[in-house]
Amino acid sequence: MEIDETALGGLIEESRDTHADGVRASREPLEQMVDLGRQARAATSTDPDENRAFAGENRQRLAATAARAGGVLAATGVIAAIADLIGSPAFASTGTDVQVLQTASSIEVLAIATYKTALTLSYIGGSTANPVIKAFATTTMGQHADHLAAFQAATTALGGKKQAKPDPAFVPVVNKAVTSITKAPAASGALLVVGLALELENIAAETYVNNMSLLTNANAKKVTASIMGVEAQHVAILNAVQALLKAGAGADITLPPPAAKLPAAAGSVGFPNAFYPVSNAAPASQGAM
Amino acid sequence: MSANEPVSHLSEGELRALTADLDAMHHDLTLPALKSSLSEWSDDIRAQAAAGRRDERAQRSRVDRRRFLAGAGGVAGAALLAACSSSTSTIKNSAATSPASASGSAMADGTGQKLSGDLKVVAMAASLENSGIATYMAGIKAATAGKLGAVPPAVVTFAETAVAQHEDHQKAWNAVLTAAGKQPVTAVDPVIQPTINTAFAKVTTVAGLAELALMVENIAGQTYQNGLSVITSAAGIKTAASIQPVEFQHAAILSFVLGKYPVPAAFTGVSLARPPSDYS
Repeated sequence: MEIDETALGGLIEESRDTHADGVRASREPLEQMVDLGRQARAATSTDPDENRAFAGENRQRLAATAARAGGVLAATGVIAAIADLIGSPAFASTGTDVQVLQTASSIEVLAIATYKTALTLSYIGGSTANPVIKAFATTTMGQHADHLAAFQAATTALGGKKQAKPDPAFVPVVNKAVTSITKAPAASGALLVVGLALELENIAAETYVNNMSLLTNANAKKVTASIMGVEAQHVAILNAVQALLKAGAGADITLPPPAAKLPAAAGSVGFPNAFYPVSNAAPASQGAM
Repeated sequence: MSANEPVSHLSEGELRALTADLDAMHHDLTLPALKSSLSEWSDDIRAQAAAGRRDERAQRSRVDRRRFLAGAGGVAGAALLAACSSSTSTIKNSAATSPASASGSAMADGTGQKLSGDLKVVAMAASLENSGIATYMAGIKAATAGKLGAVPPAVVTFAETAVAQHEDHQKAWNAVLTAAGKQPVTAVDPVIQPTINTAFAKVTTVAGLAELALMVENIAGQTYQNGLSVITSAAGIKTAASIQPVEFQHAAILSFVLGKYPVPAAFTGVSLARPPSDYS
């Protein structure tokens, strides 16, 4: 595959702009959903007619915000799922569902914090960074923020409190890794960062895959299902990046990569399992409040 | 020093060893869990079928319960998933010049079965896997014949691995069908296949093939995501949930190779999902 270096720079910029637009477009409605969920819970103790009116109003507001998002969220079904959750006259709230969603939120909080920290390192988010790695870290952090907002909205819609703290079981692991990373030189530090991100992404993906059979609320399932594949995609790319870094081929981390130069085994390193495992899934109540 | 600079040199052999380790972990941990889920799902489906038949019988007349149990309990869970670690594909017409023919003889390829509930989703999923396998196999055949120009070794590995994983998925779906006493589905998705065939006829480069594969992977991932809202058995949900992320991983790598941002959205959608009615 031929690489046009001039076009590559433009493509990366274009990709970055597109995704920054996407993140901006989705953030507002997702944040609104969290507020709506909280309001919806407050409304359930009032008159049933008022509840129905409130539900109808919420659907309209969510439809409007989805339209403003330019279809970015509407197309995924997440808006519809959360609208159904919020607009439901009778909340199918269960303790387990809320715990599962709070734990998912706590993992997202940790992931956001980790990428944020990583981006302060010059070789990840600074002038010496590989542009593809920097764009990936930035975009992925934004996507985790969207996931957090979605999980929090679903939690509040089911009558729970939104979880805004990191998963306590994983915090020491991340802190220890961050300490090592900050002491490491750039080259080995980059590998440590990718390794840590990979571990967190895998935990997130495996946890959400596992959660699919634990959740009872249909819309909470839809929200989770729309997120778990994205975490798995993060894993696939990080697997590939890690292999290239280990191979001393960091310069080949480009968009697109120089496929003709890559070893044959690089073609499958991103997706080692035909069936996504759950052995590293966080327990449902680990991050619950 | 930047992230672009070498840390250590990893040879092709070492990289293969790394992937072999991951593969071994997959066989040690993931497959036993999957077999357990499939067995549980088959039990659920048999229980659902038995319950349905009991209701039906109660409405008609009282019949001997022992006779019913003898008819319903003949399929052993041990027959499930004889090999989820892939071997050869049994897909109909997979070696054809075009990905596959959408027409198949009744029953021989699993078409024409009267299915309901989870089994409708399962049959459609199996047919979709067959379409995926057929697409990759036709692509590999075209590449081997030199019709796509130079094909990088990593792309070949990608295609071979993706085929193997789709074969594993197809076997998993079909294991559920056979455990429920139904025929395995070896035919392609009859609705989406003509579109794939038309697109494949225009493919002349590796990039073109990757674009087509990306479409198929996204359809598969979104279909299983949608199926998660339709499947009623918890074990069935476990199975579908373990496959959906893998299809999206294939899509991410294909996007990456094509120079597209590999994780294009914070949420995966269902707008491309094939409905269970594709295979009814």
